[in-house]
This record gives sequence, C-alpha cells and structure tokens, in this order.
Amino acid sequence: MPFSLLVAWRYITANSLQTLLLVLGVSLSVVVFVFITALINGLSIFLTQETTSKIAHIELEPANKIARVLTNDNRFVAQPVSTLQRKQIRNWQQVIEIAGSTPGVSVISPIVDGNAFLVRGEATQPIAIQGVEPSKVDAITNISSYIIKGTAELTTGGLIIGADLADELGLFVGTPVLLKSERGAERLLSITGIFRVGLSSLDQRVGFLSINVARPLFDLPDGITSLGLKLDDPADAPAIAKVLQNSTQLKSTPWQEKNKSLQNATDAQGRTGNFIQGFTLLAIIISISSALLLSTYRRRAEIGIMRATGISRQFVATVFIFQGIFIGALGAFLGAAAGYQLCVKLASITKADGSSMLPIAPSEGGYMLVIILTIVGAALAAVLPARAASAVDPVEAIQQ
Amino acid sequence: MIYNTSSNNISSDTVSNNTVSNNTVSNNTVSNNTVSKVAKSKTNSTLLLANNIIKTFRNGEQETFVLKGINLTIPQGKMIALQGASGSGKSTLLNILGLLMRPTSGELMLLDHSLTNLSDAELSNYRNRHLGFVFQYHNLLPDFTALENVAFPAAATRGRLTADIKKRALLLLDKVGLSDRSNFLASQLSGGQKQRVAIARSLINNPKLVFADEPTGNLDQDSAKQVMNLLRDINQTDNTTFLISTHDNSVAANCDDIVRIIDGKIADV
Ligand SMILES: Nc1ncnc2c1ncn2[C@@H]1O[C@H](COP(=O)(O)OP(=O)(O)OP(=O)(O)O)[C@@H](O)[C@H]1O
Ligand SMILES: [Mg+2]
Repeated sequence: MPFSLLVAWRYITANSLQTLLLVLGVSLSVVVFVFITALINGLSIFLTQETTSKIAHIELEPANKIARVLTNDNRFVAQPVSTLQRKQIRNWQQVIEIAGSTPGVSVISPIVDGNAFLVRGEATQPIAIQGVEPSKVDAITNISSYIIKGTAELTTGGLIIGADLADELGLFVGTPVLLKSERGAERLLSITGIFRVGLSSLDQRVGFLSINVARPLFDLPDGITSLGLKLDDPADAPAIAKVLQNSTQLKSTPWQEKNKSLQNATDAQGRTGNFIQGFTLLAIIISISSALLLSTYRRRAEIGIMRATGISRQFVATVFIFQGIFIGALGAFLGAAAGYQLCVKLASITKADGSSMLPIAPSEGGYMLVIILTIVGAALAAVLPARAASAVDPVEAIQQ
Repeated sequence: MIYNTSSNNISSDTVSNNTVSNNTVSNNTVSNNTVSKVAKSKTNSTLLLANNIIKTFRNGEQETFVLKGINLTIPQGKMIALQGASGSGKSTLLNILGLLMRPTSGELMLLDHSLTNLSDAELSNYRNRHLGFVFQYHNLLPDFTALENVAFPAAATRGRLTADIKKRALLLLDKVGLSDRSNFLASQLSGGQKQRVAIARSLINNPKLVFADEPTGNLDQDSAKQVMNLLRDINQTDNTTFLISTHDNSVAANCDDIVRIIDGKIADV
C-alpha cells in the first residue's frame, strides 16, 4: 500500500466521530440523488409502459410518397402517389413475412380500419372501427384484460366497444346496433363486449370487430389499411421503424412520433432531476471541502513537521486528496446501499388496487453514476485543502 | 576554530583559510585512509559552511535585523551548542542552516555544494537526505505509532513503508531505549519518550547533521540528561554531527564547542 494512502486512512480514522458525521452527510446527499433518479426514471418507465402497452409500437401504412427513378439523372426522388387511388396495402402477406423476420418485432397484426357511425334509433355516434383478426384482438391493446362486460371474443356479427361510448348510446351486451361505414355500407351488429382501458381516446371512440366483417364495410376485399406491430423493447421503435421503412417501402411510424407530449413530459422531468442531482453533488463537494480545509488547519503543526523532515509538497497534497476520495467512496457506497433500500421500501408501498403508490424504479437509481460522480467530486473537493496543506510553511507551523 | 565573528567577506578572514584547508583535508582524508596514516583528525572536515548570513524580518515599514552577518563552519562529527539570550536568533539561525528558511543574504555550503540557488523542492530533498531535526514541541504525529513516526520521513519519500525501513526504525527505537514502545501511539508517550522518538526519527535517513532546537527545553532534569546522553552516545558511535540550541548550561557543557549569538553575530568565547 502506498504510504500516502496509509497516512490518509489513519487521518480519517483518527477522528472517527467527525469522519462518521461527514460520511453520513455525504451518503445522505447520495440517498437524495438515488431517490430522485429512481423516481424520475420510474415515472418515465411507468408513463412509457402505460402508453406502449396500449398502442402499436410501430404502425405500417401505405406510403404517401414512393421512390421513383428519374430518367435523366439516375437518382431516387420521392414522388406523391396518385390521390385518386384507394390507399391500401395489397401485398400485406409479404410485408408480414418481412416484418416477422425483422429482429425485435414480436407481434404483427393486420388491420382494416376506418370511420363509421353507430346508430341506435335516432341517436348516432362516430366510431373508429378496428377490424382485426379474432386471434389478435389482444395483440396491440390487451382488450381481454379491460373487458368489463361480455367477452373479448370477436364473432361474426359481434362488436366490442368502449364503455364511454356504450354509456353514451345506452348500449349493453346483446344490444343490436347498426353500423354505417364511411363507404356507405351498413351492417347490423350486436354488442358482445364492453371495455374500459382508461384512455378516453379508446373508451370513447373505438370499436373492435373481426377483420372479415370489416372488409365489406370498408370495401377492401383483399388489401388492408395498416399493420400494427409490437416490439420486444418499445424503445427500439425508431430504429426498427427505419429498417422497416426501407424494407417494405411503407410509411413506418414509431409510437414516439405520435406521443411527442409524453417525450416532452419525461424530458422535462429528466431536466428537473438533473437539477436536483447537480445540487446534491454540490452539497457533497462543499461539505468535503470545508471539512478537509478545517483539518488542514488543525494539522498545521504536523504538516510542518512533515515538511521540515523533507517530505515533499506532493506527498502532503496526495494525503489530502486520498482523504477526500476515502470519504467520498465511503459516503457513495453507504448512500447507494441506503438509497436502494429506501427505494425498494417505497416501491413496495401499494395503493388499494395493488399498484405502487410511487412509480419508483429501485433498479434505476443511477448507482454507478452517483458512485463515480461522488468519488470524482470528492477528489476535486480535496484539491483546495490539498493545496492549502502543501503550502504550509514548516517554520511558521512549528513555532506556533 | 569552528566559528568566526567577522562579518566581512571571505577574502581576508580565517573562514576562507579554514575552508580551503578543510577542503584539502577532506581530499587528503581519502589518501590518508588508503595509506593508513592519520595526519589530521577526520572530524575536522567541513560539513556545513555559513558565510555572512544576514536575516531581517520585515513588518510593514519596520525592518528587524536578527542575524547581522553570521560566519560559521561546522566540522563533521562535532556536537556543538548554540547559546544566546532569548530572542537573539538561535531558532532563526537553526532554521536557516537547516534549510527551512532562506536567509536575506549570505551563502550556505553543504558538503561543498552551494545551496544558494536551489529550489524549494531541492532544499526539501536535501533536508530529507542529509539533515535531521528535533524540535521542542509538536515533534511527533500523534495519530501514528512510535515506529511509524520514526519511519515517516523515509517511508513518505520512498512511497512505501518497506520492511527494511521498519527494521531500521526498530533499530533506532532500540538505540533510544524505546523498542518496547514501538507500537504505542505518539500521543501515549511521555515528554521525554517523545523527544527520544524524535531523535530516532531524525536519524532514519542517516543524516550528516542533526539540528535540535531546545530539545530538552520541555523536559525535567532527569529526562533532559537522558536525552543529552543519548545525543552524545549517537554522536560518538555514529560520528553524527549535532547543532543544539539550548538555554541550559549543563547541556552546553556536555558539547564539544559552544557558539554564542550576541547582537546578531557569533561572539568569541
Ligand atoms: N517570522 C518572524 N517575523 C518577524 N520577526 C521574527 C520572526 N521570527 C523571528 N522573529 C524575531 O527574530 C528574533 C529572533 O527570534 P528567534 O526565535 O530566532 O530567537 P531565539 O534565540 O530562538 O529565542 P528563544 O530562545 O526565545 O527561542 C526575535 O526578536 C523574533 O521576534
Ligand atoms: Mg528559539
């Protein structure tokens, strides 16, 4: 062991009460850092999960523009597709194959969607129809788990609607309703299920039915309107969307693009967190710096003796830097451990419905970061005291 | 003569003569040893030479002249007492000769090397390798054991507390009669024991010259006597040179020579 390390360790253990208080102070700041980091990350994870569990991670739609080669200079340029043609994906089986073999894609659901009116007697309500394969009713949104009346099974002639819409029209399971599509087609259906997801956009406006029922309603005998994809990790959506855009030539939209406000909200939270993190680090640096500075004054005579016996300024400075690092490391590890315990405790407190009171993510406390930053900060905090110590004049110090 | 009261330049006075002759002696020493013929005592070779050292302290407008031209030659192997009234400049002179403080003017030669133009770091290195210090107060580091205190100057410079440094420290503690206290914290030792540990520490790097500023000033008579006997013993067995400032005449009487500072200069005895 380097002798300067031994000396530093002896110095911080010599006055164990003062060191203990200092280390506790540092670890308290670290606890705050960990708590804030885990909370902000937890909140962001929670919000993202809430959102991504109910929507498609990537949506594939017919392109508005397609690449065409211009004859005079061999470049690809984007040109508008004719607006006179019906927008649909004709080769969707092929697209499913391509998307299915793309790494990271977990579920693919072909969709025929369109707008319609739900008519009951005199009353009508607009409804966004999602025609999906009966086996894939839960592929994008786990409708089964949100069913409050009836079933999530999609039968021929059956319609599943949101609870708000059902209330609006006074519909119950078994009630017959007339669906008028935007293409003018009509069909008498019966309510087979009512769901409440908790997103008003779904609960108020969306209805699910079998894709085979939707085809004639929206005049799409072969093609589909879109494909909804789920990914193993929703965070990969932008990258995978880019890949799919190239491989399928379809318009490929990651969920983030349709949920910019979520991104903005989590970003703002992140900035608030950074602010608080910065202050906790500052508190650590100031407390270590002032404590070590005091110690250089208390140990002036000793430092004077060292310098008198020809021990270099660097050695004296190193001893103080090491003291800072010791205190920082002790406080960092202690604080990280305590912060983790605290977060685990807080995360386990549940509300009546079994969900967490605080959306805190104990594993996302930024432990590595806070340990590194605290130790580096502690070393920096020791620079001023180290300079003061190495500048002690032996004659002055010894004669006091 | 080991000291000289003249404040003039070297040219005409005895110091320069001594210096030259001492130098030739030191050259002679080698040949003498090889021929096994002792012409002059080896202890007469010059270790430290101070030439016209002046020290003033400035306090705002006021300038205090403390040392007004000190010429001093310290031969190897002697034990010299430095005496003078309180405030006469004993500590100041020791600090300057011990390279802890720079003189306002004047020249210092250690082992025939001029020290005038050395940097602080180089002076520090000289102190570590060639000089030892024993002070009246604040001598030891209270949070370290006697052994660690003795080993400190060597371990800090070497970067490690090696086994051979420990061994030498233990040897020195044995020499000062404290081998049974080697693992005591410095704060657990008596005043006399502390001074003996400090003496052991001053010897850790085999110094040529040890400065002691009132090493017994804080001790009772018995402890003082013990410390002086110890210094004398080390001086005789290891040929270590000592410069000891003291108010105590019995301490001074135990030395080979006495140097007195009166009015900022060395007075003839
Ligand atoms: N840093 C300083 N600034 C101003 N004056 C100083 C300083 N250090 C010493 N002096 C003055 O120099 C003179 C000599 O002081 P010094 O400590 O060398 O005396 P001393 O002979 O060791 O005295 P004592 O026997 O009391 O220890 C004193 O008058 C003192 O006031
Ligand atoms: Mg003095």
